[in-house]
Amino acid sequence: MISIRGATKRFGGRLAVEDLTLTVPRGVIFGLLGHNGAGKSTAIGMLLAQVMPDAGELRINDCDVFADRATALARVGAIFETPAFYDYLSGWRNLRIFCEYTAPASEERMREVVKLVRLEERIQDAVGTYSHGMRQRLALAQALLPEPELLILDEPSEGLDPEGIHEMRNLILRLNREWGLTILFSSHLLSEVQQLCTQLAVMREGRLLFAGDWRTIGAERHWLRVRVDRQVEAEQALLASGLVEEFEYDGRARLAPQSDVPAVAAWLSAHGYRIEAVHPIERTLEDFYLEIVHGASRGVAASVPDAKGNRPATGTAATTLDGGAR
Amino acid sequence: MMFRRQLRHELLKLFARKRTYIGFGAFVALQVMILALLQLPKARQAFDKLLTNNGYLPEDYYAGLTLAMLIIEFTIFLMGALYLALVGGDVVAKEIEDGTMRMVLSRPISRLRLLGIKWLACALYTSVLMIFLGITSLATGVIYRGRLGNLFVYVPHESLFGVFPMADGLARYGMAILLLTVALQIITALAFMFSCFKMKPAAATILTLTVMFTDFVLRNVPFFESFKKYFITHHTSSWLRVYHDIIPWWGIAESLVYLAALGVTFWIVGAMAFCLRDFKS
Repeated sequence: MISIRGATKRFGGRLAVEDLTLTVPRGVIFGLLGHNGAGKSTAIGMLLAQVMPDAGELRINDCDVFADRATALARVGAIFETPAFYDYLSGWRNLRIFCEYTAPASEERMREVVKLVRLEERIQDAVGTYSHGMRQRLALAQALLPEPELLILDEPSEGLDPEGIHEMRNLILRLNREWGLTILFSSHLLSEVQQLCTQLAVMREGRLLFAGDWRTIGAERHWLRVRVDRQVEAEQALLASGLVEEFEYDGRARLAPQSDVPAVAAWLSAHGYRIEAVHPIERTLEDFYLEIVHGASRGVAASVPDAKGNRPATGTAATTLDGGAR
Repeated sequence: MMFRRQLRHELLKLFARKRTYIGFGAFVALQVMILALLQLPKARQAFDKLLTNNGYLPEDYYAGLTLAMLIIEFTIFLMGALYLALVGGDVVAKEIEDGTMRMVLSRPISRLRLLGIKWLACALYTSVLMIFLGITSLATGVIYRGRLGNLFVYVPHESLFGVFPMADGLARYGMAILLLTVALQIITALAFMFSCFKMKPAAATILTLTVMFTDFVLRNVPFFESFKKYFITHHTSSWLRVYHDIIPWWGIAESLVYLAALGVTFWIVGAMAFCLRDFKS
């Protein structure tokens, strides 16, 4: 659905996106993760032909977004972090204006979309009177009007209250499952991405650090939490014993390949440590993200193997969805 | 069909704002103020003296048409450029600042087409404003004096002194308003061009006013007398030339062509800036 090859963009002297290569298959909810300024919005801007790349090729549905923008974006809907509308006009009039720039929608289609985003009662009111959540839903409505195949959501949950976030998440899932939309979802809310996406890309300082199914990467490795009376001494001893490969914050440890949790507990007990807790923990997207980002900032990628479980010798751990390491 | 709809929406964006009507209202208020100032004894005496010294009866000429001419001249001088610069400077830059431009450009509309529609909407808006001012100036004068009367025009910097009977005066006033409508498009066009660059709407307005003010000042410096045909304000004054006894159509046409060429240049420069720039929050 989306194919980006070697996209690079500089703003003055600052490199915003560097040699980005990414493929998003049809029908998935694909997460685009990264801190503020990582290059997510620039990448989305290039995809929508709003930001001109210095190099590279960007294609949607096999159409070059710059050479054939009209075809490439014909079935694409997009919403941004801060949805902007003509506040002095009604929601309905705003929808009309936005859709009639390219593809006028029928009254019936407009009503259907307005109903989907639950704005029927307020659609004739001036947008200036809408809450942030309502504006976000109106933005989603305008993105859905041209019957898109691809929905690009740039930080759609930003500024929403917990109820709004929940509602937005359900709507996105529904659009993907019932309407079959491919969704590119950019966010720095890791919990949201974790609940929505299995496939994602992680960017940092304009570079792609990872792309693929995050759950399968490193899934063979197990994590546990160790809490004992002499914590620091125990951590060093466990590392020396070879049962544990690495300790992180708060007693989080990664088991060595041939080790398991009972073996660690038995070893600690045998060596006279008073155990408060030793239990396996499930790795979250936050763990995965921090692992990648911290690995990149240290200039090593050894902790992040590629899709086949191989660890790159140097550089970052960027992989494409087809499993090839960059 | 699509183009018409898009243009209608652009016009709706301009005319649905309260501030449009506040602006129009401010113009009417200014016109009433100008009328009131013209009634001050000194102003009235100067007017009467000017006509009497030239052998005309002030009572024949101090009527609706003459007042309309005086009102529109002062209105355009005091607020015309400012208001047009505000509108033209806003039309692209404000949408970019507000973020609606990014929403619009997420649609597969071509940037050039979008800009063309906005330009046209701006030109129509300018025309509506000028015609509105022409009508309200005339209405203000006629309501005050209760009749149209003959027309007296005196513009020293254009070496213009003219008296016209009512019918001829009204026809020339109509022509002048039409010419004014065309000539002042250049201010909107200049502001529109600046608005396409990466700058705030206020900066586009200020730049436009700076250019127009500098142009006006330099044009009136004796040293630049021989270069006056290159100044924008020399050509925007062409609307006054319909008040010459024999209308210099060729000169007026020359001015309009010069302004049109400048307008096209502004459009091309603005469009290039707009088409090549990045849109990002």
